[in-house]
Amino acid sequence: MFENILIGLSSLSDPIMLAAIAAGVFGGVLIGILPGLTSTMGVALLIPVTFSMPPQVGLAMLGGIYLASTYSGAISAVLLNIPGTPAAVATLLDGHPMSRRGQSTRALALATFGSSIGGLLSVVALLFIAPPLAEFSLRFGSPEYFLLAVFGITVIASLSAGAMEKGIIAGALGLLLSTIGNHPLTGEMRFTMDLPSLYDGIPLVVSLIGLYSVPEVISMISKRKQSNKPVFNADKTNPMAFMPEMFKQKVNVLRSSLIGIIVGIIPGVGCSVGGFLAYDAAKRSSKKPEEFGNGSPEGVVASETSNNAVTGGTLIPLLTLGVPGNPVTAVLLGGIMIHGLRPGPDLFTLNADITYGFILSLFVANLLFVPVGLFVAKYCVRVIQIPRSILAPSILALAAIGSYSIRGSLDDVVIMLFVGAIGFLLQFFSVPRAPLVLGLVLGTLAEGELARSLALVHGDLGAFAAQLVTRPISAVILLLCCYALYQGIVQHRKNSKMLDE
Amino acid sequence: MIGKIRFAALAMTAALTLPFLQAATATAGEYPEKPVSMIVAYSPGGGTDTAARVIAKYVQPHLGQRLIIQNKPGAGGQIGFTELARSQPDGYKIGFINIPSIFMVKMLRENVPYEMSDFEAIANIQLDPVMLVVKADSPLKTFQDFLDAAKKAPGEVNVGGDGPQSNNQLQVVVAEDKLGVDVNFVSFDGSGPAITATLGDQVVAAVPSASSATTHILNGRLRALAVFSEKRYKYLPDVPTIKEASGVDVPGIGASMRGIAVPKGVSPEQKKVLEAAFAKVMEDPEFLAHAEKMGLPLDYMNGADFDAYIQSAAEAVEAYIPLLK
Repeated sequence: MFENILIGLSSLSDPIMLAAIAAGVFGGVLIGILPGLTSTMGVALLIPVTFSMPPQVGLAMLGGIYLASTYSGAISAVLLNIPGTPAAVATLLDGHPMSRRGQSTRALALATFGSSIGGLLSVVALLFIAPPLAEFSLRFGSPEYFLLAVFGITVIASLSAGAMEKGIIAGALGLLLSTIGNHPLTGEMRFTMDLPSLYDGIPLVVSLIGLYSVPEVISMISKRKQSNKPVFNADKTNPMAFMPEMFKQKVNVLRSSLIGIIVGIIPGVGCSVGGFLAYDAAKRSSKKPEEFGNGSPEGVVASETSNNAVTGGTLIPLLTLGVPGNPVTAVLLGGIMIHGLRPGPDLFTLNADITYGFILSLFVANLLFVPVGLFVAKYCVRVIQIPRSILAPSILALAAIGSYSIRGSLDDVVIMLFVGAIGFLLQFFSVPRAPLVLGLVLGTLAEGELARSLALVHGDLGAFAAQLVTRPISAVILLLCCYALYQGIVQHRKNSKMLDE
Repeated sequence: MIGKIRFAALAMTAALTLPFLQAATATAGEYPEKPVSMIVAYSPGGGTDTAARVIAKYVQPHLGQRLIIQNKPGAGGQIGFTELARSQPDGYKIGFINIPSIFMVKMLRENVPYEMSDFEAIANIQLDPVMLVVKADSPLKTFQDFLDAAKKAPGEVNVGGDGPQSNNQLQVVVAEDKLGVDVNFVSFDGSGPAITATLGDQVVAAVPSASSATTHILNGRLRALAVFSEKRYKYLPDVPTIKEASGVDVPGIGASMRGIAVPKGVSPEQKKVLEAAFAKVMEDPEFLAHAEKMGLPLDYMNGADFDAYIQSAAEAVEAYIPLLK
């Protein structure tokens, strides 16, 4: 083990390796900030560039892109209220209110440190306990996934900021939208209006762009008569000054990292769910839950720590079993295979120099995006000082380009505007938008896994119900679901009583 | 003065017409004069895309121009295939097509705006057959064991695979028909998740593409019982073909093939240039070494053979389409 780490260190000491990590991190930060470009696209587009590099150098660069872009989605979420990547949706809930209060630097600093620590802890898990964790990931079958999606949906209670009914409406709308496209098991087309662009369902990134940028642009334009005075950055401007605050939140950081790592290990769940679950857990155990949704630093730390902890987690089943956990790692698997490497035990013995070089490069990348991110963020903070008459059209233009560029399809721009109109209506009636995202992300998972669970027991509902209770992991998740629902209802009653009085 | 103006006017006319003249001479030159773009109907980073990018890199010296990949993903390939069918047949737009997906999409859906006659084949590059695999510790040691288990409990044995309506499911339907068995096919979001489900004991067996199962078989986590193909799979020479394993000739029409095609109407001269370039790359030792390292199952067919294969495969598949719906 330590011998392997030494081998990894020696390949890491190569200056080309460090240059590749730096290039990946810098590119990744920019990719994450722009709402149209996601981690998956960044990694996919750069794989051909890595053809001619030695494997560990190419992988180090791809790793840098993956980690840095997962983090930097937070920058646009905090400053513009538009998530740069799906992973930053939960960050936006508190990050943007903090920015509105003039605490942009504080929110960005916390997001950066949280991401870095979460990422580092997940790489530690990858380095030391990957094989047993990978075996755990195989125990997740369709019933477990189905229940996990249901459990994720209970998070709506935490995302609705006091208006439970409105949160449920948005969540249900998200679930409904997620049914567009072909049925995951039978291939039947639903609500596609014969448009081939809708056959695969509403594209998530396109809808995120519409859901958040269109309402933001409209509200900027509607406020144009008001003074254009920018929100003054009232805080200390040195982000390092917020480092001690992180240590005060060590329980939150550890819990969020753990949630992120576990979510990462389970294939097919992903960074955004990690952020949501950690945010929910932080809110439930916080001393000041009422601050969540109104600019709670705890919320920013929880979401960002967790979504970056997912990154190391997803690499565990990828490297040990060849099972990719999310779209980014599926693409990364292609990048590994193209060099003739086979995920599995060989990777840790025969190709130890490459594998451990790659894992150790992730440590460097997780540390490196702190200065790079803070440097870029320093200039991005000035974005909020740009006059609205320039900012609003620029955002709309970026949103159109971003949604077009994903599949090179004009239909996607129309979908973006359509979802944007829904987003505007929701904002107008102060219905929270995060539950809709949650419904969209988890709806597909829940529906597909439910159908698959039933297909596996030949449609026998009784057998399916028995499985939910008798399979150990699914029983645990079932209990968690019940607890979450019970607590949500109790909380809701308490709140309404308080209102009545 | 007037002379000067006249001279200036002449110079301007010359400056304006020169580019057109150049363009005119350019078309008279040898094809290809500029980079050729290749439509890939799947997302960047996937298996089809990666294979396309590797071949694009190595075909460049043989073609004399760069080959640029254009991803047009969506609707199981339908969007990209439609784009290719509607492209200008000027030789600068070619496509990477997937068999049998390209005609299964057409047969399974209404209102698909292309016909198979809209395409002309240039070369087939790879053939990735479907493989029947079980977990390494499964009690089913041979294909016969699997067959016995499936016959004992008709419709009960769970078999996972890409789906729905995929080439893998097609192969299962064909095999069921020829072998007289009935299994419970369960769709997963690709070969990867189907393999994971097999490793996690969710399904008895899986029918992934051979290329995605290879790693797991060589690692000793999966055991292959048979490959649905006429000949054994290059990277797993110990796995018997379905005919060797069962004695029954099950056509391997579920095999996923990837090849090059152009929209109908490309001039015969241009087609010849393209065919020659892809024929040469398939003998290029550097390309062959890279493909071998990646585990790409190459299988070259020239344009005429590939066209003939597509035709006969499409006819064979047609009969099974109702069973997939």
